[in-house]
Parts: sequence; C-alpha cells; structure tokens
Amino acid sequence: MTAAEDLTTIRVDQFYPHSPARVWRALTTPALLGQWLMPNDFQAVEGHRFTFTATRDVNFSGIIACEVLEIRAPERLRISWRDADGNNPLDSTVTFDLRAEGRGTRLILEHSGFDPDDPGQQLARRIMSGGWRSRVLRRLGDLLDALPEGPASSRSPER
Amino acid sequence: MTRTARALPVDRVLAALANPTRREVLDLLLEGPRSASDIAAQFDMARPSVSEHLRELRESGLLSETRDGRYRRYSINADPLVELRDWLGPYERFWRDRLTGLGAVLDSMPDDDT
Repeated sequence: MTAAEDLTTIRVDQFYPHSPARVWRALTTPALLGQWLMPNDFQAVEGHRFTFTATRDVNFSGIIACEVLEIRAPERLRISWRDADGNNPLDSTVTFDLRAEGRGTRLILEHSGFDPDDPGQQLARRIMSGGWRSRVLRRLGDLLDALPEGPASSRSPER
Repeated sequence: MTRTARALPVDRVLAALANPTRREVLDLLLEGPRSASDIAAQFDMARPSVSEHLRELRESGLLSETRDGRYRRYSINADPLVELRDWLGPYERFWRDRLTGLGAVLDSMPDDDT
C-alpha cells in the first residue's frame, strides 16, 4: 500500500514462492520481462537505455523511455521511467528490491517521482488531509481481505 | 487550448468525502455497521443534519442501508472507495496487476536454478 502521506511514491510488495535467482531472471531477461510487464529492449547493463512499449491502458503515450540506473544481482534493479511523449511530465524511478524470505522471495516495488503539484494529487491531498487517506485505505485493505468475494477482493494488497 | 470537463463516477464520491463530518461517519462505520441513532449520538449536531449527511453518503454509494424492524442500520460499501483508490493512483493498480502477472510467469518458468 502507498506510504502514509507520501503521494509521490507508490509502494507495492508481493511474496513469490520462488528463489531470488528465479525472480531476478524474470526481472532481467527481456523475453520474460516482456511477458509480465511490457515488450522491451532491456539489457542487464548499468547505463543501458531502453524502452517499454505499452500494450495496455495507463495514462501515457504508450512508450516509456528508461535507463538502467542500478543493477545488483539478485537484489536490486533500479530504472528511470519516463514517458517518451514530452507533453507528459511523468519522470520517475522504479526500484525493484528482492529479499529472500523463508522458501521464497519478497519483491518490493517502489515507483517514485510522481508530481506533487499534479491537480489530481492536490485535490486528493485537500480532501484526504490529516491522515485520512492512509487510515481509510489501510482499513479498506483489511475490509477487502475480509470480504468473502467480490470484484476487488481478488487483488487485495499484500501488506 | 480549452479543456472539457468530463463527469467521472468518482465525482459524487469526492463530493461526499469533501466534508469532515461525513468522513468521521465513514471512519465510524469502518469499524462495523451502526444504527442511525447510534451514529447521531456521536456527533454534537441536530439529528436532521446528521440525517442529511447520511443521505448524501448513501447517494454517493458509500453507504448501504438495511432496515431491521424500525431501525435503520448503515454499513460501508467499499466499491466506490476502490474506484477512488484506482482513480487516485492508476499506477498502483497497474503494478499490482503486473506483479500478479509476474507470479504466473515465475510459476511457468523451467526449473533450472533451484
């Protein structure tokens, strides 16, 4: 779930019952990366510039320009994430951190650099000030976890 | 360049949330369903004002009302909040969906590293 009041960063984490080496391979092999994220010309080399070609509906041009900022197998991959369309100000960083946990791996994804001055973000802050947003979203998560079924319960966050 | 405002499903939810009393009501109901009089007792305001807030919350879809004899019980309806969360952070949903997809890829990968 998103960190308390920091609306410029998204944090999502997920546990996989697979070794860090295997998760690392899925993150850094272009064909595998293409299967779960987007088609790309990634190379596991620091400083390498590449693009993702979007196939689905998020608010951007469809092409994401990236650069490998940090790569440390099998622990951390950090890339820049910028909309190739200059009209979209999104200029952000995505960090994947892998931690061995029990018989598997916890993947912590942090996407940071969202514009705090974006009108949507400002509106959200105004309405949801004083901890309300994080409090409600946290309890909402509990509520969704407790629901027997429903459209949202299948993707209730692991926190 | 002109911009055309487009009504979104979250508009009513945002309007309903743009009031401290209504947010307090939701806070209360996140703990569990309550009767109208139970809710009213928590606020230092006239009963009709509380009823008005409950009506707005109901119309936004955030509350469901059930009748239990002569009592009305209110409970929270999470669906609009889920929509709101997705609207506030489309990328959060994007990454959640993608990380779920990564799980499927990991499951189908050949076992050559374990």
